[in-house]
Amino acid sequence: MPMRDAVRIRLEPLGETFEVPRGAPLRDVLFSYGVEFPCGGHGRCRKCRVKLLEGRLPVHPEEERILLPGELRDGWRLACRCSAVSDLTLEIGQWETAILADDREFAFTPRPGFAIAVDVGTTTLVAQLLDLSTGRVLGVRSGLNPQTAHGSDIMSRVQAALDTDGLGRLAGLIRAGIRGLLAELLAAASRPVAVSEIVLVGNTVMHHLFCAIDPEPLSHYPFQPSDDGLKTFRAAELGWEVPGNPAVQFLPCLGGFVGSDILAGILATGLHQAAASTGLLDLGTNGEIVVGDRSGLLCASTAAGPAFEGGRISMGMRAATGAIAEAGISGGDLQFHVLGGAAPRGICGSGLVDVIACGLELGRLHPSGRLANGAREWPLIGAVTLVQRDIRELQLAKGAIAAGVRILLGQLGRGRPEKVYLAGAFGNYVSHASALRVGLFDFAPESIAAAGNTALLGAKIALFRTAAEERDFSALRKLVRHVRLADDPAFEDAYVDSMTFPAAS
Amino acid sequence: MADLKKLYDAILNGDQKTAIAVTEAALAEKVDPQSLINEAMIPAMNEAGSKFECEEYFVPELLLAARAMKGSLALIRPLLAAAGAEPVGRVIIGTVKGDLHDIGKNLVASMLEGGGFEVIDLGADVAVDKFVAAVKERNPHLICMSALLTVTMPAMKTTIQALREAGVRENVKVMVGGAPVTAEYASEIGADGYADNASAAVRKARELVAA
Repeated sequence: MPMRDAVRIRLEPLGETFEVPRGAPLRDVLFSYGVEFPCGGHGRCRKCRVKLLEGRLPVHPEEERILLPGELRDGWRLACRCSAVSDLTLEIGQWETAILADDREFAFTPRPGFAIAVDVGTTTLVAQLLDLSTGRVLGVRSGLNPQTAHGSDIMSRVQAALDTDGLGRLAGLIRAGIRGLLAELLAAASRPVAVSEIVLVGNTVMHHLFCAIDPEPLSHYPFQPSDDGLKTFRAAELGWEVPGNPAVQFLPCLGGFVGSDILAGILATGLHQAAASTGLLDLGTNGEIVVGDRSGLLCASTAAGPAFEGGRISMGMRAATGAIAEAGISGGDLQFHVLGGAAPRGICGSGLVDVIACGLELGRLHPSGRLANGAREWPLIGAVTLVQRDIRELQLAKGAIAAGVRILLGQLGRGRPEKVYLAGAFGNYVSHASALRVGLFDFAPESIAAAGNTALLGAKIALFRTAAEERDFSALRKLVRHVRLADDPAFEDAYVDSMTFPAAS
Repeated sequence: MADLKKLYDAILNGDQKTAIAVTEAALAEKVDPQSLINEAMIPAMNEAGSKFECEEYFVPELLLAARAMKGSLALIRPLLAAAGAEPVGRVIIGTVKGDLHDIGKNLVASMLEGGGFEVIDLGADVAVDKFVAAVKERNPHLICMSALLTVTMPAMKTTIQALREAGVRENVKVMVGGAPVTAEYASEIGADGYADNASAAVRKARELVAA
């Protein structure tokens, strides 16, 4: 239902559109879409700059001091100094978090009431308010996982939790972060809603750190969690003020580091019911792989490193304004697509895979990964270049995934799956042709489908499992076997083999 | 001399088949096995290592070179043992307790072998006691520990302490490495050396053994 006296805001480059009350501070509005305010929103650091593409944003005196006259003329403003006084189209200067919510349709049996599904990501939290009688999403909020201050990858979180009082601190952070999203979701609802339950999904480390379970067993070989099952709380015991004090469930993990985000992914893509061999790949810092069909599934996680998110790449960045997000060959030359139409200032994961695929086609790169003619650096566009080490980082990342797939398919004793779903932001944006060219995987092109945020979709599907049905997913968990890749003697060879690029076809 | 150059090229190019064939032919012609090592194998692995350091080679090329070298070394080693030749030094190597990462450690082990060291590889997830027992039994010049996770790094410190408690710390030099390990961390935990790649590890090992 449209708000009375509301204004509409559209965010580029992601194309998100939403309404807020007229006069709402942009700081509050944009924070929930993942924009950070490093100086605390005090107009000091320039980091929250936005570019006004359409609409009106009066210039604040402080902005005249902090921004250059040319910048102001071009429409740049400080989000922390502005309010939404008119309909706006904004380009976010700093787009650190490409958030992937989910709006896919799914089959369900209606029941009365409302519920909330939360995807507890290592980097990003996404919460959706759901009308159980219609299956409609009434609201979505997302934000950075407040634990990111303790490291970006799961192992550094585990380490932080092992420090004195660390577990309590990390659990407190994540619970407070989600509390904030829930409060916003409920406050923004057009009428008071009685939430009957809240379901959370996440990897095993997020499961432990949310539920305040000691992650010590996850800190060393054999990385075998001792308590990774379904955990049920009441909102109040987590410090959440939700009317009706609903039950809060963190869904059970699948084994090792593979958590309920992947269990939800299986639900969302129907792998557990598939008649033919099917795959699910979640390509993040910790890559997760599931293959199999309704007679049995194998899952594994593999440390791919942050290259797919632009991490550890010399000019790497997230999919933000100024990032090379796509590349192709036209007339024997490289062509680039830069997000937001801005001056190129870096390259994100999907751009990196494209550029390397093009480099192989153009002979700028050997299949070994070496830059041709002994070059150390490859200037792309503007000031953006790739160095040899960047290519090596991608080789390590894609090698880990490709080797994991190869080992799982080998253990399964099958050929290539007939259908493969790519989950997550990178999986959503990466070009399938480029991913095939660099050897990230070698599935049949027509078998590959981007599946979006399958963790969130699966969490919503789980909400429709009524009390009578099992919520601990014991049948599904029995169907899935977790494989520790490093225990397979063939893994090292598969990994090393998969680091090189396929020769030209 | 043409044989030595051929062996050098075969190892550098990771061509195990040729490396073995050339070694067999050379040994049949009674070429001194020690000269194959000193004049072909060690220089080829040194060159492969420096290509790795300047990013011309990556893990696959370095491993292929190491495999070619090992194919050749397997033929030469029995002859050296029979002649009573001494290695540059004896090294015990392993990935520490709780950590299963093997590839980096294997590369260092191969490079050390290619550099003329006798290498005893204890594998991955090596318990503290196992390192200590191996030091007592094999009396190595050097012990090398690898850790790839920040959470398993402390096992290096524990191992060094255990060596001290067992009274054998003074008999052996300790070198550490792995992605999260730094030179500062190495000196903080009382290691004698640190290297940030497989090629630098060989240089450091030579330095430590000579000291």
